[in-house]
Parts: sequence; C-alpha cells; structure tokens
Amino acid sequence: MLKELIKNGSNKEIIEFLNELHGYDLAELFNELDDDEKTKIYSLLTNERLAELVSYLEIDDAAEILVDFDIDKQKKLIEMMEPDDAVDIIQELEDDDQDELMAVLGEDSDLVKLIQYDEDETGSAMTTEVIVLTPEMDVKQATKKVIKEAIDVESINTIFVVDDNQHFLGIVTLINLIKAKTPCLISELIEQSPFVKDYDSITQTLEAINNYSIFEMPVCNEEQQLLGMITLDDALDIYQEEAQEDFEKLAGLPETVNRTPFKTALHRLPWLVLLLAISVPIALISSHFQGVITAVAILIIFQPLISGSAGNVATQTLAVTLKMFSTNEKGIFKNAIKEILTGMMNGLVIGTIAFGTTYLFASLHPVIAVSPIKVAFVVGASLWMTVFVAPIVAIVIPTILRILKLDPAVASGPFISTLLDMTGLTIYFGLATLVFGGLL
Amino acid sequence: MNKKINFKHSDDSLKRTFKSLHAYDIAVLFDKLDDDEKERVVRLVDPSKLADVFVSLEEEDQIEFFDRLELPKKKLILRNLESDELKAFIENIEEERQEEIIDLLSAVKRKTIRLLLAYDEDLAASIMSTDFLTISEDLPVKEATNYIVKSSKEQDYIDTIFVVNSDKELVGFIDLKQLIMTRGNKIISDIMEDDFQFVYELDSIEKAIETIKDYDRNSIPVLTPKHHIIGIITADDVFDEIVESSEEDYEKLALISDFDPSSSAVRRTVQRLPWLMIAVILNLVTASFLSIFEVTLVQVSALILFQPTILGMSGNIGTQSLAVTILGLHMKEIDSKKVPKKHIAKEMMIAIINSLTLAIIAFTYVTVFLTLVPTGSQTPFQISTIVFISVFSSMFIAGSMGVFVPLIFNHFGIDPSAASGPIMTTVNDVITLVIYFGVATIAIL
Repeated sequence: MLKELIKNGSNKEIIEFLNELHGYDLAELFNELDDDEKTKIYSLLTNERLAELVSYLEIDDAAEILVDFDIDKQKKLIEMMEPDDAVDIIQELEDDDQDELMAVLGEDSDLVKLIQYDEDETGSAMTTEVIVLTPEMDVKQATKKVIKEAIDVESINTIFVVDDNQHFLGIVTLINLIKAKTPCLISELIEQSPFVKDYDSITQTLEAINNYSIFEMPVCNEEQQLLGMITLDDALDIYQEEAQEDFEKLAGLPETVNRTPFKTALHRLPWLVLLLAISVPIALISSHFQGVITAVAILIIFQPLISGSAGNVATQTLAVTLKMFSTNEKGIFKNAIKEILTGMMNGLVIGTIAFGTTYLFASLHPVIAVSPIKVAFVVGASLWMTVFVAPIVAIVIPTILRILKLDPAVASGPFISTLLDMTGLTIYFGLATLVFGGLL
Repeated sequence: MNKKINFKHSDDSLKRTFKSLHAYDIAVLFDKLDDDEKERVVRLVDPSKLADVFVSLEEEDQIEFFDRLELPKKKLILRNLESDELKAFIENIEEERQEEIIDLLSAVKRKTIRLLLAYDEDLAASIMSTDFLTISEDLPVKEATNYIVKSSKEQDYIDTIFVVNSDKELVGFIDLKQLIMTRGNKIISDIMEDDFQFVYELDSIEKAIETIKDYDRNSIPVLTPKHHIIGIITADDVFDEIVESSEEDYEKLALISDFDPSSSAVRRTVQRLPWLMIAVILNLVTASFLSIFEVTLVQVSALILFQPTILGMSGNIGTQSLAVTILGLHMKEIDSKKVPKKHIAKEMMIAIINSLTLAIIAFTYVTVFLTLVPTGSQTPFQISTIVFISVFSSMFIAGSMGVFVPLIFNHFGIDPSAASGPIMTTVNDVITLVIYFGVATIAIL
C-alpha cells in the first residue's frame, strides 16, 4: 500500500497518508520498505512523527536508524520521545555514538540521570515527565497548572501530590479535581497511593502494578522524593519482554532477533556447540564401563529412560528455581528442600514402575538379559537415584552462578540435562558393575 | 509492601490502620486470618474501600467475604463493582447461588450481567466492562465536561470518553485530558480522535490483547456489528490475561503445572508425576522397540559411547525451534491463520545450517576420540561416518518437528504449547535412535 504510494503518489499524498497512521501501523509499514523508500520517508515526516516512528520500531532497528542522522537531528528526535523509550534506544547505541549524543544532550538532561539505572531496575523504565501539585494549592490554581502542563505528559488521569521538598504524599484523580468546587484545598482531595522505589527490581514493580491495578505508578527515591512514574502500557511491554526472555533462557535459546536465517543460525550455534562439548565426558564415562555394557547388552536400551527422566525432573526444578530467583529472595532454601523431597518421591514412584516393567520385559527377552531381576533392579534403583540427584544439580548450579554474579538462567534446561547425563550414566553403569561384577 | 496488622488493637485504631492500607494489601492478608479477625475486617474496613478489597481477593475467598457482610454492605459492593468484575464473581460461584446474587442487583445491572454471562469465555466481550461514558458528537466542550462531572460514577472508566453520532454509532473518542485542555466554544466533533482501534463483540480475547498492546492504549471499545459501543476493555484486565498466558507457556515448557511457591513437596509430586509417568512409559515402549537392534549393538559396541550425545543434540535443536515457534505464535509475529511460509523457510534453513555444522564437529570429535580411545573392532572412520549421518538427519528432523508440530496443533485449534511435552521429546528420541542404529546396521552388517 505504502510502497505503491511512494512509487506513484505525489509527496503531498504520501504526507497525508502518513499523518493519518497510528505510530504502530506506521512502524509496521515502514519495516517492509527498502532503503531508498525509507530515506524518502525520513524526508517527508516531521521530526515529531519521525520520533514516534522510531519509538515504535524494534530497539536495535531504532538505534541503527538514529545514528544515521546528524547529531542535531538525533538530539531533537531523542528529546521528542518519551524518556523511557529514549533511554532504551540510547542504551542500545555503540559506546562512541552514545557518548557523542550524551555530550550534546548536556548534563542537566533527565535522560542522563535515567541512563544510569541498570536495565532491571525500576528507574530505567520510568518517565520523569509528571505533573505535581502541593497540598496547600486551591483546586482552581491546581486545575490551571494541570491544564497548562498537560501537553507534556503521557497521562494526567492521576496527578501526584508532593510537599515542598518533593516528598511524595499521595495522588489526586483528575475527575475528583474537576468535580471539586473552589474554595477547596488539594489536601482535602488527596488519596493514599502505593509507590515503588527507583532501585527496586523491575519484576517486583511490574507485580505491584498488576496487583494494585494502577495505571500510573509513582516512582520515588530512598528519601521518598518523587522522581517519575511508570505507566501501565510501558509495564505491559516490559512484562512481555521479560516473560519472553525467561522462556527463551529455559529453552537454551539466545535472545530472538530479526535477522537473516544464516545469522540467526550462527546466533543459536554457540549453545549447541557448547552442549556438544560438555557431552564429551559422557563418552569417556561410557567407555570406562565397556566391560559391563558388552556383557549385559540390555542395559543400553534403558539408557535413554534414565537420562530422559533425569532431564525432565531437572528442568522442572530449574524452572521453579529461576522463577524464585526473579520474584522473591526469601524462601529459596525452603523451596530447595521441597524440591529435593519432591524428586525423591517422584523417583520412588517411577523407579518402582520402571523396575516392574523392566522385569517383565527382560523375562521376555532371555537372550539379552542374563538375570531379569538383576537388570530390573539396576534400572529401577539407578532411575530413582538419578531422579533424586536431578533437583539437587538443578538448584546448586544456578545458585553457584548467582553467587558468582553470573546470570543464573545461563543454566538452561538443555544445559542441566546434559550435565545430568554424566551423573546418571555413572550411577547406572556403576551400579550395573557392582551388581553384575561377579559375572565378569 | 506486605504489612502486618495487629488485631490486638481497638476497633478505632484498626479502622485507622485499614484506612491507611491499600485495598490489595488488606486482601492479601484476609485468607490467613482467623474467623474473628475476618469478621473485624469486614466490619471495620471503610465501606468505600470494601469493593476494592473484594476485587483483590482470590476467587475462592470472594464468596466467603461476601457472605460475612450485612445486606446493605452487600448491595453497596455489588453497586460499586465494575461490571466485568461482577461478572467474574458471579461466574465463579455455584450455580444455585448465582440467581440469589443477581436478584440483589438493580434492574439495569441485572440485564447487563445476564448479557455478559452469555458470552463465550474466549470472546473479547466476555472480559469487557460496561462502565464507560458516551457523549454525542455535536455537544459543545463545556457542556460535555459538565455532563461527565455530573454523571460519572465511582466505578466508571472516564480516562477516555467515547463519542457517538445521532444513530448511536461510535465515531471517535476523546481523552479526558484533551477535553479539559480545550477551551470554550468548540464542539466535540472538532477535537475528537476519529481514527480509533476497536474490537467487535465476537472477536477473540487475543485480538483485544494485541490491539491494546500494539497501540499502547489504556482502553479499547467493544462494538456490535452495527458499530454500537457495548463495552470497553481496559489495559489492567489485559495485563492479567498476559501474565496468565505467559506463565502457562513457561510452565508447560518446564512440565510443571500451576506452580505455587507455597505448595508442599507432596503436592508438587502429585502435580508433576503424571508428566513424568508419561515420559517413563513412553521411554519403556521405546526400549522394547529398540531391542530389535540388539545384534548391531553387541557387535558395534562403540555406538553406545555416543548415544547420549546424539540424543542430546537432536533434543536441543528441537527445543530451540519449538520455543521460537511457540513464542512467535503467542506474540502474533507468526500469522496463525495462514501457512507461515516465511517462518517455516527460515527455520528450515537454520535447521540445515546448524545440523550440518554440528554433524561436522561431531564427526571430527568422534574420529579423534576413537583414535585416542580405541573401542570395538571397527575403524574410527566407520563410526564417525555413522555419527555424521545420524547427527545431521536426526537434528534436521527434530528441528523441523519443533516448527511443524506446534503449527499443526495451532491449525487444529490445540494450544501449541502442548507440543512442549514429554511425548514430543520421546518421539524425538525414538526417531533419533532408529536413525542411529539403523544407519549402523546398514553400514556395518
């Protein structure tokens, strides 16, 4: 649609069409254009619309586009965006480009303060453009102030009240402000409101926004001075990103990015190679037990059962542990105990089932099974032990990574499963050697 | 933010404590209180806050809370609830009691609730609220503002006001902010936004979620086919839905269901055991099937060394492409209506590239390994060739299944995350082992 218009339409028609579009639709259409067409769009959009377009693009694309403009235009665009969007894009820039832009923005810019927050701290997601009232204002004076400043803020449905030292006192809803008749002081309309602190983890803040169903969550510093707010629509976007990240990490998948198949393949490759590398010791372990394996060939066909079950149990515990890490600090130890108990009980049940089935199966195949009861015992007992060890590994590894200040989620499901293969096989073949040792 | 309430204090002091707490914080505590304390909560919480506390309660606690109230307070809560919350409450209680509560409603609300209850639970209309304001397009700004100030009720959503024409069709919206910023004698149709996003009453909930998220709106209208507005969906409702569905995806990928940090070890065991049992039984079936390769296994003992590696490799690439596809479907990056040729083509390319790369690495690794640790009677080259072929084909197949199975599930209306279960893993294992042992049998015997 847009493509044809660029080819055949006059500039005026294109501009008209572009101005009608919502920022999201504009970004969607824009992504389908080739480079020449994109350049044409840049020249036709006003700075304000261009800033809107850039903030609806994927962040890495946005950063790439931004640096192509000269530094003055970069500054203009960045200043027109909502601060939280601007910060995301600035953080994505290469160091040189970032320094250059920051220098132009000047030290007093709110952006410079925002950029100091870590990505998982609440401060990084807030916008500093808020309207504040003081309790001793009259509603008439307050309404005037709100109307005058409204144009600069995302939303004025809740307005924050602070004292002379910027300490957050509560909120006034827009509707109550309009309904109130002068003379009436803001202090009479003020309502209590929850707030979050700038260094709180973003996960906690998102949870608070969801629990309290707050459309504009105030953000304060340690001294309870109001710094800004987080709006519900931003919270939604961040939540979705976080959830996606958790999911990807559990699947051993690097962050998804829109690239060519070849680049994406390269992107996913390191994980696969690493997993291959850590499976090398498995072969060494197996070769060590060559004797018992050749003597009791039936053991081999139950090997996938042992490693598969251990992998499943470990993934369950890992998922639970990572969730605990990202939401609350307390109860991790208690949770670990519960997980290990769970593993023990699960292991007992499936170990018993495996024992029974293996016994039946081995009795039916007398050629490969020397002694059905012994084989069944080895399979059942090692399954139990492996499933018992699995949660321990799935708790210990991410905890160590966390203590080392590495991202605990690096230990993805596949990673833990491969590690467990080693433990599982050692138990399995080791036990077999003990049981069948007399035979050899 | 979890505050403790000291119930030893007098009624008056408790009343003050409740006043200073946010409704959510009171609700969180409620379920752990004893009978006497609960009674004091419902008696001492300010009536204006009761509805907010009620909404924040767990579904199963709501009816208990409700039953503790005296009739006037019951009616007050019912009056103050947003219609979507009221509907959710009524829907969750036993059928015999539903009518009893509907009878307490005003005539207008009764009609609304019956209407809402009639919608299927995956339709956008089923999560909508009917508490919104409309104004007519030819109203002057000043009159419009007066009308809103006068007629808006506590539970109404008024951040955005919806504009209708003389046929009651929705023609635009105006944010309250815009309205109060506009001066004097303009009329609504001059300043309203006439380009708006909406959903029809029979659209899916997903469509509503996508629209709110993509367009960064705090609310969207729900329309009849004739463009009459019958409700709104707000961003806070959508947040709940998104949280629920992403947690579900995560839990399914990890084979845990309904995880709750407070549940005991026994409960966890009971919840997870079914999945594990399925996996164990499937694996045992696999085992009995594999016994046909027994002769090969005994003769080519070096094969056993690399079996876990090959199983792992195909499982890993399968998990990756499965996760990408499920995410794509849920984030609507993949169009679920048509066959997503682009996504399939891309993932297949990736599967080929990565399977080939890893097959080459595995080939080298096996050759080196067997040269250093001689095993069995075959040459290292023979075994590494078998490994090369098996790694490539099983990884390629696993990668493709990760793409196709969720897509096919989705096509037949099954939740695609169901594909991330043990059945998939075990099918993968069987295919991989059949390829591995099959290739070996052909090559060596």
